[in-house]
Amino acid sequence: MRFTLALKNILKSKGRSLTTLLLSLFTTTLFIVYVAFMDGSHHQIIKSSVEIYTGYAHVNLKGYRDESDYGNLIEDASSIDEILRNDTSIKTYAPRFETYALLSGDEKSVGSMIVGIIPSKEEKLSKLASSLSKGEYLNDNDTNAIYIGIKLAERLKITIGSQIAMVGSSIDYSIAADIFTVKGIFKTGLFDFDAQSAFVNKSYLDSVILSDNKATYFTVDFQNNDHINKVTSALQAKLPSQYEAVGWDSLLSSLVQAMLVDSIFGYISISIFFLVIFFVVMIFSYVNIYTRTREIGLLRALGLTSKDIFIILFIEILLLATVAVSIGAIIGGVIAHHYELQPIVIDGIAEMYKDYGLVSDEVPMHFDLFTITWNALTIFILNLLAIVYPALKINKLTATEAMRYV
Amino acid sequence: MKYLFFLLLFSLTLDANEAQNIIKKLEKNLRGDYMYGTMKMIVTSKRGQRTVKIESWSKGNDKSFIKILYPKKDKGITFLKLDTQMWQYIPKIERTIKIPSSMMLQSWMGSDFTNDDMVKESSFEEDYHTKLLSKRGNFATLELIPKEDAAVVWGKIIIDVDIKNAAPLKETFYDDRMKKVRILTFSKIEKHGSHTIPMIMELKPLDANKKKNSTKVIYEKIDFDTHIDASYFTKHALKRYSR
Repeated sequence: MRFTLALKNILKSKGRSLTTLLLSLFTTTLFIVYVAFMDGSHHQIIKSSVEIYTGYAHVNLKGYRDESDYGNLIEDASSIDEILRNDTSIKTYAPRFETYALLSGDEKSVGSMIVGIIPSKEEKLSKLASSLSKGEYLNDNDTNAIYIGIKLAERLKITIGSQIAMVGSSIDYSIAADIFTVKGIFKTGLFDFDAQSAFVNKSYLDSVILSDNKATYFTVDFQNNDHINKVTSALQAKLPSQYEAVGWDSLLSSLVQAMLVDSIFGYISISIFFLVIFFVVMIFSYVNIYTRTREIGLLRALGLTSKDIFIILFIEILLLATVAVSIGAIIGGVIAHHYELQPIVIDGIAEMYKDYGLVSDEVPMHFDLFTITWNALTIFILNLLAIVYPALKINKLTATEAMRYV
Repeated sequence: MKYLFFLLLFSLTLDANEAQNIIKKLEKNLRGDYMYGTMKMIVTSKRGQRTVKIESWSKGNDKSFIKILYPKKDKGITFLKLDTQMWQYIPKIERTIKIPSSMMLQSWMGSDFTNDDMVKESSFEEDYHTKLLSKRGNFATLELIPKEDAAVVWGKIIIDVDIKNAAPLKETFYDDRMKKVRILTFSKIEKHGSHTIPMIMELKPLDANKKKNSTKVIYEKIDFDTHIDASYFTKHALKRYSR
């Protein structure tokens, strides 16, 4: 009987029901789209950082993450190479030798990260080759050729064919110096990376800084990078105890944390909006219920208890919220899915957020069923909560008071 | 009561003056108008031990010229420091390069000294407030806290001084969070002309990752009573005296 009464009430007051329904539907859709956009931009930033250079996992000597100096090198790179080569969960990998040196053009000198890479392997692991802006990418036979970030080239005031001096430290701490010719200039869009990085063929760099068969770390791309902790743990078990396999979430921990903080601020912003919506729904319900005071008084006079009245009002909002939130979740989900496949293009957003590592004006949304479900449930619960206060308030009136209510 | 207060204030002022005098004498003793020296630097790290032989010429505290004599791979590399700027010449590539400020905290020649240590001109007397912590016979311990406007990197320095010889025995450096970061010890005090100089100094970083690191500098020759030609303190000298 209570369910029938609630359903009749909904259908009888079409305007009131439709307004409640649209308000909840709009809120649900907005919340899902907002979160999908926020998560999408964060995923985009992290994906860029991982795929442009860092890679999905590193293998390095324990202690290297704390002190990235020559005291923590992989001294026998070939033994690690062999372990990685025989691991079927790994798609591709390569050793890198990162060092810090002084690069000097004709006019200016700049401290920079110099990395020895195997160009052919790196082409499959990172976006270095595809980020070529001018000149040519490196090849495995290059000697004094250097591939340099566009901002670094600008700082050094050099271009393709220019000669630059490198002064650094060999691994025996003697001075390592050589002259390199700029072969290519790259632009990844990662501002700091483009301003502070240069690459040379590892076999040649090894001869300059005496690092033959040594590496600072190996970068690894697994067959499946979705469960990075699981695959890095499996790899860790195969490595000698002094080495560690580190997943991208640890390698980019400061970026991951920055994204988390940004998400928290995002949720705080949207919570303020929800608070407003919650009170709008509550006030709307309050007014609605009070316009029905005489009707409720009549029901009480006919023998319905205050509990019955509360349940009827609750069933009304439950039905309306279920329909509104379900439709809102479907619309929000469809929008998120669509813009995940065909990202929104916001001209200039990459420039605005370059310090965060956003490298493209395309911002895809992130479609995730779990996120959509909890977003929808949040709105659903808010809707139910909005009815509690007005329902309790009206139930305090006696049948006589309610029937006399004007 | 008033008497006691004035007595206390008077004794504190005396302590500060005494500390200031000790630092003044120490700096005057360690710095000559000119100094020529040869030294051996032994750098110990996780990767082993390495010896570098150096010849140096300096004028006051703001001009110096350094030439690497050994190992063979580094022979002829020269460094010039003028005020707070530093250049180096590398014979292998025949280039003179100015060391930019971004590289100042990098290690100098693989040692535990940084480029900044080589060029800094900070004076204990001018840049720090000095306080006498203790004094026993000819030995004193001083606390140095940087003055508000001083361009120094340390939060505090504690110095043990041999007052008689106006020579440091140990310097303990603290960062701006008052964490102990490195200890410089001095030994083998010898008289050279009017100066009494510790001929050996050893720097030990206290970072947990650098437990095995140390840099020992041993003076082999030192001469304060010499005039050094001004040509050493020009950029042309880098290439000219490299050979």
